[in-house]
Amino acid sequence: MKLSRMPLLVSLLVLIFFYLPMGMLVLQSFNQARFGGDWTGFSFRWYSELWARRDIHEATWNTLRIAMTATAISMVLGSVAAWCLHRYSSRLQQLHRSLVYAPLVIPDILMGISLLLLFVHLNVPLSFNTIIVAHITFCVSYVALVLLGRLQDFDESMIEAARDLGAGWGTILRRILLPLLGPGLAAGGLLAFTLSIDDFVITFLLAGPGDTTLPIKIFSMMRRSSPQIINALSVIFMSVTFAIVILSQRLIRPKP
Amino acid sequence: MRRFRWTEWILTAPPLLWLIAFFALPTGLILLLSFRSAAVHGGIGPEWTLNTWKSLADPVYPAIIWRTLWLSAACTGACIAMGLPVAYWIARLPRRVRSWALLLIILPFWTNFLIRIFAWRTLLHPDGALKALLVWLGLAEVNDQLLYNQWAVLLVLVYTHLPFAILPLYAAAERFDFGLLDAARDLGATRGQAFARVFVPGVRVGMLTALLIVFIPALGSYAIPELVGGPGSEMIGNKIAQRIFNDRNLPLASALSVVLAVAVFLPLMLGVWLRKRLGDGLVSRGGHLS
Amino acid sequence: MDAFIELRGVSKRFGELVAVKNTDLILRKGEVFSLLGPSGCGKTTLLRLLAGFLTPDAGEIMVNGRDLTKVPPNRRPINTVFQNYALFPHLTIRGNIAFGLEVARRPKAEIRREVERMLDLIQMTAHADKRPGEISGGQKQRVAIARALINKPALLLLDEPLAALDLKLRQRMLLELDRIHDEVGITFLYVTHDQGEAMSLSDRLAVMDQGQIEQTGTPAEIYESPRSRFVADFIGDTNFLSGPVSHVDDSAYVRLAVDGLGAGADRNPTELLAWKDRELKAGEFVNLSLRPEKIIVSRERPPEQPQRNILNGIVEDKIYLGAQTQFRVRVGDRVVTAQQQHNHFLLDTRPISWNESVWLSWHADDGYMIVEDGT
Repeated sequence: MKLSRMPLLVSLLVLIFFYLPMGMLVLQSFNQARFGGDWTGFSFRWYSELWARRDIHEATWNTLRIAMTATAISMVLGSVAAWCLHRYSSRLQQLHRSLVYAPLVIPDILMGISLLLLFVHLNVPLSFNTIIVAHITFCVSYVALVLLGRLQDFDESMIEAARDLGAGWGTILRRILLPLLGPGLAAGGLLAFTLSIDDFVITFLLAGPGDTTLPIKIFSMMRRSSPQIINALSVIFMSVTFAIVILSQRLIRPKP
Repeated sequence: MRRFRWTEWILTAPPLLWLIAFFALPTGLILLLSFRSAAVHGGIGPEWTLNTWKSLADPVYPAIIWRTLWLSAACTGACIAMGLPVAYWIARLPRRVRSWALLLIILPFWTNFLIRIFAWRTLLHPDGALKALLVWLGLAEVNDQLLYNQWAVLLVLVYTHLPFAILPLYAAAERFDFGLLDAARDLGATRGQAFARVFVPGVRVGMLTALLIVFIPALGSYAIPELVGGPGSEMIGNKIAQRIFNDRNLPLASALSVVLAVAVFLPLMLGVWLRKRLGDGLVSRGGHLS
Repeated sequence: MDAFIELRGVSKRFGELVAVKNTDLILRKGEVFSLLGPSGCGKTTLLRLLAGFLTPDAGEIMVNGRDLTKVPPNRRPINTVFQNYALFPHLTIRGNIAFGLEVARRPKAEIRREVERMLDLIQMTAHADKRPGEISGGQKQRVAIARALINKPALLLLDEPLAALDLKLRQRMLLELDRIHDEVGITFLYVTHDQGEAMSLSDRLAVMDQGQIEQTGTPAEIYESPRSRFVADFIGDTNFLSGPVSHVDDSAYVRLAVDGLGAGADRNPTELLAWKDRELKAGEFVNLSLRPEKIIVSRERPPEQPQRNILNGIVEDKIYLGAQTQFRVRVGDRVVTAQQQHNHFLLDTRPISWNESVWLSWHADDGYMIVEDGT
């Protein structure tokens, strides 16, 4: 009888393991003390300090800019990639498929350094544009992956019926594909967006002098010390990401 | 027919060309540039040479490679060992509850991973609450360091990768026929024996996927050893970053990256080949396809 | 009768539903016993109670004098052949069969020897290194049996083992099971909803309905002397000719007044002669069960004989089954089912056909009185 409790026990321990640090972060973000060791009182001071920090605002804005550009372009490239992979099965697609899937397993440091070398070799100065190029490269794979999953559930005969009825590809795209695949596309886009705002290693490697994004900012703050203000920043960051995830889940949920 | 192929090529071109230009070519570039000398003021030098590779013979590097391998392996082992019972538990929950359980597991993953590392760094801090608790329980000395060593790195590595291990394990567990466990018990197996002899082999494809998903990215860790590790717990990723930022010795960084790429490529190919073999086997064997 | 396996007062409920009600059951050592009943009657629950996957709310389960009620399934000397076989897909046939001995950590030489013995018993030695996905349904069936038998259990439970097989295969497997049982001599408990299987295979069987055992006995006992309407109706076909006793005396026979058999405008109950199975009083209501094969169907009116009943009717339907024909004959307001065995070449005579007027006759000894209300 005892052993059947084991999986449950391990699962509970794992859940505690997962949420302990997060819970502590949230707690500490309201801690008045400067050093996390003591609790001196409940306070919103870190949140208000956050509000006043111009450098953090700038980093946030940069992060968003990069993410939106990268998301937009990777959504286009990713959808086209997914469509081709789904519809065709030639040798070209085999090559295509391995190139789309590979970034998913490669450690990001490898991708970062390879692009760094490319830009150095070509004498391209590092800037936000180089960051955006990198983000697009890995986002395309994720968008393609999500869309490919949706396409596999898609009923091909609808397209055939539409062509039979005389619709051209433009019409088919507008009135069948986009509405039905829209949620999947949006989910892929949200995924790309989240990955982009989250990315650290690749962004760090490809940032020019003085370019900061939010993760880079957090990293440099962490490098020197552990200012309490990071707790507040983390809580806000977490909430935003959670909101995005929940939104995207609503979109991919299969219709009843 | 001709017309068809044109369409395919035109459509495939944008993503394909992008990936070739910004993924495939740069990856090849790493190999190439590892054979160049370092420029005096940083960057890529003008000559072709083997010196860069020779400098890898410095005993520092094999030690780091070894440490990277064993930390990644330990992390993978821990993730699978913990992931199996969790996957089992979720797969046995009533259907409606399962997606909530999965969401609960996945949610922490959706925070920025630097934030997660930060959270652990605070938790493990010598003046932090966790240390105080352990001392109070008699499990640690006052002077013990929880942070800035290999164990902290391992802990945070596991923390970061565990959700990735649980997902494929769960996907396999969901397809598993739990009636087989009843059969095992009927024949005399204890619950532990049934778990080890029937459940674990039954989800082995999931285990393989989990292994690939954890081991390979773990090899390339940079931020975790940088932020919670000490000088004695550096991994390849740190060394690569050091060569880039501290010395600007790009060729050496390339060489190290090639080593990392090989370390990634070998298990990846092995894993893909194994998965194909296992996958085919399962289709023809009783239709229990994972 | 020595009770080898005994269930005493076992009951099990799931929330509102009472799956098994206060059941007693005795199995003799070495016999083949079947639990027969429609879906939902509780037979599978009883099986799982015996196997140990469920714990009874009340009652005991005894095997050879030992109380096993609280013992977990892996420690009971009882093994199960599951309906879907539940063979381990990642092990070979040999590996599957060896499983029980391996978890018991028996010495390797012993395991090898026993596995070979089992493979020989089920005649699968040539396929021993294949995987479950590579063999047929009937073969999987045999492997599942061998796997369960290797532990030499006191009781083997078979949960509708032939349900997934087609007819011919089922017939072959029934013979197989019989042969295996003869060789091995272990007590079998066979659970099924198919009466043909139950009757052909079992030494004794029990008919279950709604959580209770309606009757236990040999197949012939159950068929010929069903104790309730349910049993009579569930096993084979029967006609219920029921009515109050109209005449009783010292002789071996009574007369029943049965309604609805009268021809035309005759609304009076017909008097039928029946063997007095038990003491009866005038006016007492009796359910008479008459099996179709006990009735003789003929075109000519049979001669009057002292203990024969005769009815006249029109053939409403006939079902030709090759070896026999089933007739549904309208007699008065009712339909009586009769069965005619074709002992001679059928086409020599003109077979009886639809809408023909026929005579049904049977001997009064051949009906059986069903006990009403479990008395």
